[in-house]
Amino acid sequence: MTAASRLLETPRLFMRLLRMALEALWAYKLRSAFVVCGVALGIASLTIIVAAVDGAERKALEIVKFFGPDAAFVLGGDIESRAVGQRTLTLSYADARAIRESLPGAYLVVPMRAKGGVTVRFADKQENLPIAVGATAGYAEVWNWPLAEGRDLSTEDVERGAKVALIGDTPARELFGNSSPVGRTILLDRLPLQVVGRLSYRGLSGGGGSVDDRIILPITTLTQRFNLDRQYFRALRVKFHDSENMAFHVANLRSLLRHLHGLKSSEKDDFSILTADEILQFLSMFKGGLLVFLGVTALVAVVVGGFVLANLFYLSVSERRTEIGLKKALGASRRAILLQVLIEAVLLTLLGALLGMVLGMAMGQLLERLEILEIVFSWKVFFLSLAAAVAIGVLFGLKPARQAAALDPIEALKGG
Amino acid sequence: MSDAAPLVALEGVTRTYVQGEQEIHVLKGIGLEIAAGEFVALQGPSGSGKSTLLHILGLLDRPSGGRYRLDGEDVAGLPDDRLSELRNRTLGFLFQSFYLVPYISTLDNVMLPGLYGPTPTRELRRRAGELLVQVGLGDRLDFRPGQLSGGQQQRAALARALVNDPRLLLADEPTGQLDSATSAEILELLDTIHSQGRTLILVTHDPETAARAERRIVLHDGRIATS
Repeated sequence: MTAASRLLETPRLFMRLLRMALEALWAYKLRSAFVVCGVALGIASLTIIVAAVDGAERKALEIVKFFGPDAAFVLGGDIESRAVGQRTLTLSYADARAIRESLPGAYLVVPMRAKGGVTVRFADKQENLPIAVGATAGYAEVWNWPLAEGRDLSTEDVERGAKVALIGDTPARELFGNSSPVGRTILLDRLPLQVVGRLSYRGLSGGGGSVDDRIILPITTLTQRFNLDRQYFRALRVKFHDSENMAFHVANLRSLLRHLHGLKSSEKDDFSILTADEILQFLSMFKGGLLVFLGVTALVAVVVGGFVLANLFYLSVSERRTEIGLKKALGASRRAILLQVLIEAVLLTLLGALLGMVLGMAMGQLLERLEILEIVFSWKVFFLSLAAAVAIGVLFGLKPARQAAALDPIEALKGG
Repeated sequence: MSDAAPLVALEGVTRTYVQGEQEIHVLKGIGLEIAAGEFVALQGPSGSGKSTLLHILGLLDRPSGGRYRLDGEDVAGLPDDRLSELRNRTLGFLFQSFYLVPYISTLDNVMLPGLYGPTPTRELRRRAGELLVQVGLGDRLDFRPGQLSGGQQQRAALARALVNDPRLLLADEPTGQLDSATSAEILELLDTIHSQGRTLILVTHDPETAARAERRIVLHDGRIATS
């Protein structure tokens, strides 16, 4: 036979082997089902893992976007190595003023402090909030947080200690439903505040619930009305003109604060500066850990699926010795026998992959509903799973397939 | 290759199995020529080597020594793929236990050898159907082998052996598992096939069956006793 005619025959032989493989798989349904399930479990965990890592990455990017590439966040106290009883209230209004006046590149400085566990009321409805934030003018702007309606806090609000507030998306929805909260007066514990702006939905969760679950009032109003210490605040947002030089800006900010706090060169910082870069680093560290842990789990699951496949195919080959021996006697080449077993293996793993993806997405939905992980379906997961399935099929099907191809027809037919 | 050349030519063919340190000589030098169109019965008691000889003739086993030319081609040293191709195109097999694939239809079973060959599927299906009509199973195409009687299964196996239009049909005790009435039907069919000009080699230990052949070869202890 010439090479050309052999080449023409290959696709036809393949289609014929495909049909034989389908008939054989259908004939041995139970065993096929076992292989499909074994592979499906592996692929399901793979699906969850890839989707979870993607979800984590998406979330990280969201957090960073929320944080802003052009901003620094300063916290009182050294968060990395905070000694017991160390003062965390180290940032003063004098610091804020000094930064505003003399830090090059900074254009917006917003000190903040918070009061935890408050209640807001409107009419007969009431809502418990984990946090009420006191801030200065430009709170929404400094957090890159668009207002759904109304206006931001103004310098005048802060100077006058005005009884005004920005309302987060969650309390706005709870207290006002679909109607506008702007211009209405709510009660924060016992303090009446007029809502001047509603923050748009952010959908991020962080320490102690969603960021949407909050109310913002002028820091002066907060300290006066709730009788908090008036000299210090907890945190500071600084926005810079150009995000390119963030490292330079942060170094400046740090030396300025050290100077203002009169720290000697041997003393540690009594504040911590966070930037988007640092958050990203932390998140990628976290993501790396997640990836390794889940990756090992997935690998184990997939390999177990592969062994199920290999074992059942060894069984299949020895059970179908007669059939395979007969086919060899009738003129099936080694290649044809090998190919048929591999086709059977890959068909089952592909089916297992599809089932596994459905299973994985279903479990992902459950995890998402329980707010453990955020799962996102992607074509990446789809093709990755299919590729993994084909790899399992070929890798673990190859040995049984070789065994089948090497069967001696005389020996094989003796048994029948 | 001239018309006078025999279809099968064996010269001093031996087959030796090595078991541990012991050598077992199953065939001890077989010389044999079978012309195209002959009907030959291969006889001999168990252990005489007739199955081994049939396996060598059927290219399922290779001789340890000597020469085997099939249709003028020396088969020694041919690669596996070429042997598969020869088994597929030049030879047809009929086994004692029929060996039909249980989970596909009778028609698909008959088509099976053709699926490994170059015949287009449509043509193959037409030929398989025709052969099944010829062996009297025209109304059983969609039956599974399990739904057929023993005689019907062997008739289907016979149709399968012929689907690639082989020059040589090798039958290994084809009536060994059948009752006498059914055996007679199968032997009738073999006669018909022979009368159509096909070469037949039939392994049997039943003298009555052997009597139908034109020529009898009796094997004894790895050698030909009568030819």
